[in-house]
Amino acid sequence: MSAYPKSHNPFADDDDEEDSGRAAPRRGFNFDDDPEESSLSPAERRQRQLQQEVMRTAQSAVDSSHRSLGLIYESEKVGSETAEELIRQGEALKRTERMIDNMEQDMRTSQRHINTIKSVWGGMVNYFKGKPEPPKPAQKDQPVSYEANSRLQNALAESKQQEDKYQASHPNLRKLDTSGFGASASLDNGPPDQNGYPKNKQLRAAHQQLDSNLDEMSLGLGRLKNLGLGLQAEIDDQDVSLDSLLNKVDTMDGKISSTNRQLKNLK
Amino acid sequence: MDNSGKEKEAMALMAEAEKKVKSSQSFFGSLFGGSSKMEDACDLYGRAANMFKMAKNWSAAGNAFSQAALLHLQMQSKHDAATNFIDAGNAFKKSDPQEAINCLNRAIEIYTDMGRFTIAAKHHVTIAEVYETELVDIDKAIAHYEQAADYYKGEESTSSANKCLLKVATYAAQLEQYPKAIEIYEQVATHAMDSTLLKYSAKDYFFKAALCHFCVDMLNAKLALQKYEEMFPAFSDSRECKLVKKLLDAFEEQNVDAYTDAVKEYDTISRLDQWLTTMLLRIKKTIQEDESDLR
Repeated sequence: MSAYPKSHNPFADDDDEEDSGRAAPRRGFNFDDDPEESSLSPAERRQRQLQQEVMRTAQSAVDSSHRSLGLIYESEKVGSETAEELIRQGEALKRTERMIDNMEQDMRTSQRHINTIKSVWGGMVNYFKGKPEPPKPAQKDQPVSYEANSRLQNALAESKQQEDKYQASHPNLRKLDTSGFGASASLDNGPPDQNGYPKNKQLRAAHQQLDSNLDEMSLGLGRLKNLGLGLQAEIDDQDVSLDSLLNKVDTMDGKISSTNRQLKNLK
Repeated sequence: MDNSGKEKEAMALMAEAEKKVKSSQSFFGSLFGGSSKMEDACDLYGRAANMFKMAKNWSAAGNAFSQAALLHLQMQSKHDAATNFIDAGNAFKKSDPQEAINCLNRAIEIYTDMGRFTIAAKHHVTIAEVYETELVDIDKAIAHYEQAADYYKGEESTSSANKCLLKVATYAAQLEQYPKAIEIYEQVATHAMDSTLLKYSAKDYFFKAALCHFCVDMLNAKLALQKYEEMFPAFSDSRECKLVKKLLDAFEEQNVDAYTDAVKEYDTISRLDQWLTTMLLRIKKTIQEDESDLR
């Protein structure tokens, strides 16, 4: 048998893998250039092809899990940057609210002055109305995050416990170490003998890599979920403060225009 | 085209404004309400500047805004002066960066005088960005970022302060001022550790701090890594920590290939950015130098 031409389409082969047991030996399949190929019986040859298929599938699974892992980390990065921006925005909102409160204070004082100027009677009314309320104590930053804090930490602790239980119960994770491929005689990667499982070690390694990647993926997804929940909590809080800020600014706007009008009339 | 028409209009307005200013400074002008003439002049300058902006004549627009700002200063309305200086700065950004920086500096002086540190900090950041991109003067950029961070800290805006400090650290590390960079990264990371949302970025900062330690001395890096793991247990699970450990091992064995392999492995999952690549290359060079020394 001459060497098979290297014209096969890897994607086409992947699709056919279900039928690999029944299909005739594939043309154009040049995975391994063994001179001993010709000495194997058709059944053994098919067996070798199947193994090679399996190896390839495992490898592509590992590769795609790598890519998924990369994507998960990227999402986490984007999420954490978003979180930072969000917190900065929250601080800016609080600052704005404090300034608006100050403005309201000043507006009240100026209103009193205007009343005094307008008329003597107004001045006496002022005297009876008494001083405007002292400003509310300046709020410290970040009381917001603490509320979300305990909730998220509980969620984090819970999900960790969940993970351990899941790992213990999942059958695949137990089976891997005693993987059935291990015919004891077939442990060397030398030229394929009659044993039929030359790629054994590599296959096991690929599976282990896949499993560890999947573990990392699940951890990463858990972190992503918590990050998302935290972001949601922060956004909700900021929503509330935005609404109150809007109200305050509206009242402030009205006060300013009325004060302006009064000033114009004073002239 | 509409623009040239606008420019002519703008020039006309400028001329009118200048006449008003001159007239208000004469004896009769100051008798008959000079200040309102100055206000009108300011107004005219503003309108002229806007027209220049429409015609995309940025330098002229910047000039007009600066004139308006100077008039406001004379009339003792600092707020308006500062606002106009900012507008001038923005207009000049597109044509003459140096002039823009001058205007922004003057605006910052006014704001700090009035006690509005937050806005001053914001404009320091703008100036630093101009130094970063157009004038490429990293030292001055660092100085402005530091100033901005100080003002933000004074106003209790830690996240904004941290943002500026991180930029300082990035540039400091690039310029090999490692102790400064390490201090900043550690400070920001410790602060991030405690917050629910920020803790996801804490590992990033610890990683960068560890790399800076590594550039200085390997032993420092080891001790630092242990310290960080104690402070922040989640750090030990991260791939960044594992990468640093592998790099430390490769360094101890003076094995450049192991180093490169570890870096490549990390890169397949998360791309390394420019800064990280620079730092890692520097560390790699120290390995190669040691190797050649031994020979």
